[in-house]
This record gives sequence, C-alpha cells and structure tokens, in this order.
Amino acid sequence: MYLALREMRFAKTRYALIMTMLLLVSFLVLFVTGLARGLAYANASSVENMQADYFMLQKGSDSRFSRSDLSENALQEAQQIVGQDKAASLNLQMTNVTAEGSDQKLDVTMFSVDKGSFLAPEKISGQAFADLKSGSVLVDQKLEDSGVKLGSQLRDTMTGTTWTVGGFVNNESYSHTPVIFMSPDGWKEWRQQFITSKNAGTLNHVNVVAIQGDKALVDQVKSKVQSVDVITKKAAISAIPGYKEEQGSLLMMISFLFVISGFVLAVFFYIITIQKTSQFGMLKAIGTPTKYLAGSVIGQVMFLTLSSLLLGILAVKGVGMLLPASMPFQLSGTTMFYTGALFVAMALLGSIISVLKVAKTDALDAIGRVAA
Amino acid sequence: MTSAKLVLDQITHKYGDGESSLTVLNKVSLQVEPGELVAIIGPSGSGKSTFLSIAGALLTPTQGKVYVDGIDLSGLGEQELTKLRLQQIGFIFQSANLIPYLRVQEQLMLVGKLAGMDNKDAAIRTQELLQRLGLSERSKYYPDKLSGGERQRVAIARAWMNDPAVMFADEPTASLDGSRGHDVVEMLATLVKKEGKAAVMVTHDERVLPLCDRVLNLENGVLTAG
Repeated sequence: MYLALREMRFAKTRYALIMTMLLLVSFLVLFVTGLARGLAYANASSVENMQADYFMLQKGSDSRFSRSDLSENALQEAQQIVGQDKAASLNLQMTNVTAEGSDQKLDVTMFSVDKGSFLAPEKISGQAFADLKSGSVLVDQKLEDSGVKLGSQLRDTMTGTTWTVGGFVNNESYSHTPVIFMSPDGWKEWRQQFITSKNAGTLNHVNVVAIQGDKALVDQVKSKVQSVDVITKKAAISAIPGYKEEQGSLLMMISFLFVISGFVLAVFFYIITIQKTSQFGMLKAIGTPTKYLAGSVIGQVMFLTLSSLLLGILAVKGVGMLLPASMPFQLSGTTMFYTGALFVAMALLGSIISVLKVAKTDALDAIGRVAA
Repeated sequence: MTSAKLVLDQITHKYGDGESSLTVLNKVSLQVEPGELVAIIGPSGSGKSTFLSIAGALLTPTQGKVYVDGIDLSGLGEQELTKLRLQQIGFIFQSANLIPYLRVQEQLMLVGKLAGMDNKDAAIRTQELLQRLGLSERSKYYPDKLSGGERQRVAIARAWMNDPAVMFADEPTASLDGSRGHDVVEMLATLVKKEGKAAVMVTHDERVLPLCDRVLNLENGVLTAG
C-alpha cells in the first residue's frame, strides 16, 4: 500500500474525481435498491409479513390467490396432515369502499382470516382482532391518510355493506392497496350477497390455505390433497399482480448500475495503468515483485470503492431520513451489506484487466528506453 | 572462484531461431573487480542493451553463464531473480527512473521496504545516502521539482540503498549537459571506489570516459578493449 496511498496523495484531483463518480453510482445503486425493496414491501407487505412458509392453492390458479377456490374439505385434509393450527384459511377480495362523509372511492383488499390462527393481524391501535365485534374490521394505517378514523363507517360500493373501523394495523398491503381484515363470519355475510343460487355451495369455500411446515410435510399435502398446488411464500409474492413487472424493471436498473460501476473502474484503472507501464517496468527491473504491484492496483481499487461506498451509505441514510413517510423506501442492514459486497466484487472484477496488464509488463522495458 | 563481483563467461545471445536467428552477443566474457567502474561504448544496435539486460539478471542468455557476487544466475527462477535484482543489483536508468509521485526520500524508502528493511534503519540509511550525494535539502521534493542532475543523483542513491554488489548504469548522462553529466559519473565512481563495488556503465558520452577504470568497446556482438 506504500505506493498506492502515495500515488493517491499525489494525484488528488484525479482520484477525487473517480471517487465522486463511484460515490454517485453507489448512492444510486443503494437508493434504487431501497426503492425496489420499499415498493415490494408496499405492494406485498401483507403476504410478506404472514407467518406462513407455503400456500396451498387450487390447481390451475397460476399462483394467484384471487383465482384460487378451495373447498372446506381441502382445508381439513391439509390440517390433518400438517396439524390443526399449522394450516389456516385465507379469503380475499379486492373491492372499493367509501368512508362516511366522503365521495372518494378507496381501493382496498378485504382479507378474512380465523381469529385464533397464525394469520390473525396485530393491531397497533383500537381493538385487537380477536375482540372485534361483528360488523367491525381492522384496517391498514394507510387509510388514515384518506381521512379514515377509529369508528369511521366504511361502505362497500358493490354491495352497500357497511363496516365500522375497530382498529388499525400496520404494513398490510396487497397489490398496493390497503388491506381490511375481517372475521370469517363477517366475510360470509358479505359474500352471501354475491352468491346466486347456482353456486350456493361455495359459501364455505376458501381462497387459499397458508401452511407452516417444512418441505416434507408440504410434499405430503401435495400428494394427498386432490387438485391443489402448493407454492412457496416467495412464489406467492411474485404472483401478486404488478409485483414482477415492478421489480423486474428496477432490478434491471440496478444490474446496469453495477455493470456501469465495474466498467467505469475498469476503464479508469486501465488507462492509468497504461500510462504507468514504463514505471512498472522500471520497478520490476529494480526488483519489485509483480505481486506487490498488483496488490498496489487492487489496494487502490479497494480504497476508492470502500470509501465511496461508505459515503454512499451515509448519503442514502441521510436522504432516507428526509424522505416523506409515504415514499416507499426500505433499506435493511442485510440488503445494504449484500449490495455493498456486490459493488466491491464488481470493482474487483473491473480491476482484473489492469492487474493483467501489470503482470504482463516486462522489466526489460526499462533498459535502453529513450528519454520520454 | 575469483574475487570478481560480476563475471560473464562466454555469453552468447541470439534472437529468433534456426536460419533467421540473429546473434546479438557472441561469446562475450567480462570480469569486474571490486572498486572497478567499467564503461561500455559502442554504436547503436551493437547489443549494449542486451548485454546490460543479461548482466543485470533481466534476460537469460542463450549460452554462457553469469555470476553476480559469486551466485550463478542460470540456476535461479523468476522470483529468485527478482529478489537478487532487489538485493544484489543497483540500476540507474536513462529515464523513467524515478516514480513521479514519491518524494525523494520515499524513492529510497520504497526500495528499503521492498527488501524488508526495518523502517527506522531504512530512514537512517536514506538520510545518510542523501547527504552523501548532496541531496539532503531535496529530500521532501517530488522528482518534477528537481534538476536533471539531481534526479540522476537520486537514482544513484536509490540504486545504492540495499548495498548491492554490482551497479548497472544505462546511459545515465543522456539527458544531462556536459558538466552535470561529469558530476554524476564522478559521484558514481567515488562511491564505487569507496565501497568496493563493481559497476558497469553503458554510455555514448565520451567526456565521462576518463572517470572510468576501463573502457570496452562492444561492436557486432563482440567485446574488445577500447
């Protein structure tokens, strides 16, 4: 590092410029990653936060919760295999509601889960889910922004059913809409109104069954319960409408940023290395091992990358604090660590070409060289 | 074994092979004793660079043997040769000699560090060498702030840093005017005498030849007394 550090001290402007560039790229990488995570969370936090490992759906429902329709028998069979309290039913229906005293229609997703099951949500204010009176629901906190308060009446625009807001839950979104939790009894009352005599038998049907358990149990479920699919939580999340498309485009941006940062470093160090070829030749002639020179190049790359990354992290943290709460932005320590590690790996990849050039430089270049 | 610091024994070097091969050095032999400064002159293309590369352990000859301080170079691998150049050989080049981003004292410290010298010892040695070459006041300067003569003196000091057995100078006066060139070679000659080192200088500069103990002429790959 003796050479590496002194060279950066000498050519401050040059290295400060490249560092600024890396800082900006690392900031952007972290910021877009945070945005992608935030959007993912804002989209699917309700499913992400479920204490479930797998979901059982009707065969042919293409991993979409809303397309699945399971009979009560399927639920019971699953419960027999994985355990009574390890399989829980979930019903859902997207609809829109208006809050009393307002004409504004709000898109929401109605969830119905059993009061005692592991899917029951935790309230952050108001009544607990288990204590909800009939006709009362728990709603996601985001609805507060639309003027919904404790005790507000929400009117379903499809059926005219009204519910009372009994409490609030946090981070419960499905396909970017706030989730409203209701009990199975309330659900049946509401569903009754859609159901015609032709499909009267479907009143007790459930959309999906959430399962806690390992792969072996799940395989049993798959083979024993008829015409169902069992998918992982991850697959269920990606199948939420819009999720894949949203994440895909952001992921593409992030990947390009990684590639760009790798290339920027590669080009910068390659040009600098070419400029210094005669120096490297001389250093080799006077007995500097190639390993030392290669280490010097890698040392500089690491120094620049790590310090810009550190500044980038600080900047993202700072900006993250300034962002309004409604902005979907979420960057956990783990995500930051992996993103940073990938950034460093790309930088190292970018330095390979320079290291090869250093290795190929011949000490013989130093002899008989005309004054440059 | 003689006391010679540098021995070249029947060195032949060819580029290419078969019919098209070109013999650059033809059975060149040379012994340089301690305290001796040998100048090698010759027209361009006479093989001076190849000669210096072989003697300086940068190039392995097609035939013949090189001994530096009694060590036979033919038995050494790439890494051992690098180490030997670091410890037993001092180089002074024509240009691209100094690292632009190191201060004068750091140029010397680097070589000491590479040789695994203790930091304190290296600092003492650096100061001592710079003083001997009249560069003490320049020790914190970057090379671009030095005159050509000062730069070559730093190069001499650096070549001396690890107390090598043999010094090689490749046209050290090429970028200097007459009197400066004379001074630089005089310093080299004085050091060589005092410390009992062997030195070989390739040069075009006839004005510095009187400072050398022997002048040899390399022409068409053959070395003759000049």
